[in-house]
Amino acid sequence: MTISTAKTTRETAGSAAARTRLFEDVGALGERLAAYLSQQTGSEVRVAKLTKFPAGFSWITYGVEAEGYAPASRLILRIGPPYGLFAPYSAMPEFHSLHALQASAVPVPRAFLASDDSSIFGAPFFLCERVDGDTPLPWGGEGAVPLEGARRQSLAHDFIDALAALHRFDWRGTSLNEDAGGITLDNAADKQIDYWSLRFQRWALRPHPMAHRAFAWLRQNKPRAERVSIVHGDYRLGNFLERDDRITAILDWELVHLGDPIEDLGWAFLPQYRGGTKFVCGLEDEAAFLARYEQRACLTVDRRALNFYVVFSLLKLALTHMAAARCFESGEFNDMRMPAMATQIAPVFRQIEKALERAN
Amino acid sequence: MNNSLPRLIDGMIATLRREIIPHVEGDFARGQAFGVIYMLNSLRLRASWSNAFLSEQLRALEDVSRELEIALVDLPGAPAPGVRAPVELPSAADLEALRDQGDQQLCDLIDFLSERRSSLAPEALAPIDAAIARYVQAQLKWEISASAKPMFTEMSRGSEKGE
Repeated sequence: MTISTAKTTRETAGSAAARTRLFEDVGALGERLAAYLSQQTGSEVRVAKLTKFPAGFSWITYGVEAEGYAPASRLILRIGPPYGLFAPYSAMPEFHSLHALQASAVPVPRAFLASDDSSIFGAPFFLCERVDGDTPLPWGGEGAVPLEGARRQSLAHDFIDALAALHRFDWRGTSLNEDAGGITLDNAADKQIDYWSLRFQRWALRPHPMAHRAFAWLRQNKPRAERVSIVHGDYRLGNFLERDDRITAILDWELVHLGDPIEDLGWAFLPQYRGGTKFVCGLEDEAAFLARYEQRACLTVDRRALNFYVVFSLLKLALTHMAAARCFESGEFNDMRMPAMATQIAPVFRQIEKALERAN
Repeated sequence: MNNSLPRLIDGMIATLRREIIPHVEGDFARGQAFGVIYMLNSLRLRASWSNAFLSEQLRALEDVSRELEIALVDLPGAPAPGVRAPVELPSAADLEALRDQGDQQLCDLIDFLSERRSSLAPEALAPIDAAIARYVQAQLKWEISASAKPMFTEMSRGSEKGE
């Protein structure tokens, strides 16, 4: 493991305009990556192939085939563009978390290099191994592969067990403890409400009475955490790889933070990720999911806390859609997925409205 | 523009789908094209030619009508146009600003109530909460009814069913 210190590549990064474009120019990026890896390893590394992936709404993801790079020949390069969904980005929380979890029971890709120094590739980046496997998508629409039978059961067990292992993981003995930010059982929910409230103020393009209603409800109904854990932040169908009916890696750790583990359950329980089924993330019914999770995580799930985090997750999802609208509106990012996501603000608000009606 | 806006959008979508996307290389690029289709479908549900665009033409028609009324005085029976443009209509931007102003006032009220909820009588709060809830529900209902069917699978995969 090496954390980049950006040595000689800094001098060759070029003008600000060139840096902005570098991570979008496959040819130039491949050359820069080869030079960077050669410099980091002290031996010649060649990038044989660099392919941009269509998946993901935030970081730009490239598949890399490298020759002469000892840790792995097949790599993933993720770059957080300055105009991206959650920009400005830092690669370090994801990098530190994956590094800390390397020896845990959570299947994660090996993380090799990361830096927030934009002089290297024009934006923060993260380099890890490319794990074999496919990604079932959560949208459930035409073309989606249904998860059924033994495959579904096997993936469900892996999915729940990995989450439980994550929430059992003792992060206090790792570098994550240095960035704990004074989190406690009492303020875990407040910290997340504050975090997303700030983002709402930054992202909203127009006033949203429904968001204000939701924030008001969350502040009145926040639970006390039973435990402070590493929270993945986007734990769902679509963010893991599978091969031969087994989960080979949990992906997309960009929202990782310390918090109430029930937060991850709330997100995973969202209807958006059920793939058109009644099952949590298209994998398991709620009761069986919770029973296995509680047993594996050694944690009792307070159902009121779970409901709180479902509402919180819906609001977080609506705010993410606002981020997409803001991102597109700025004119710097023409990815058509952004305005498409923005069309989902109202449907998610309606789900919040119904959840509040049920809760009250 | 001599075609209707809905027909223009339908034509653009059909052209993208049949003539362009099959020849585009790469899942990401095709996914973006499906994103364009999705947004065009959404526009189709809520767009029309703007008031400003049509008002300008109506004002010109009114001018020529008034001019011809005088010029045709000595031609009895000539079918003189008698167009009168409606009084100035607010622009969509003006209406949007008014809506945002109203929504902001509601947001301020919701925050005000949230900070004082524990000290306010439930019977006083109930009708206020109910009125706000009804407005929000109506707003969301309209927003949703004016949105096209999502195409996230097509956008992620860069292909449609059967491809």
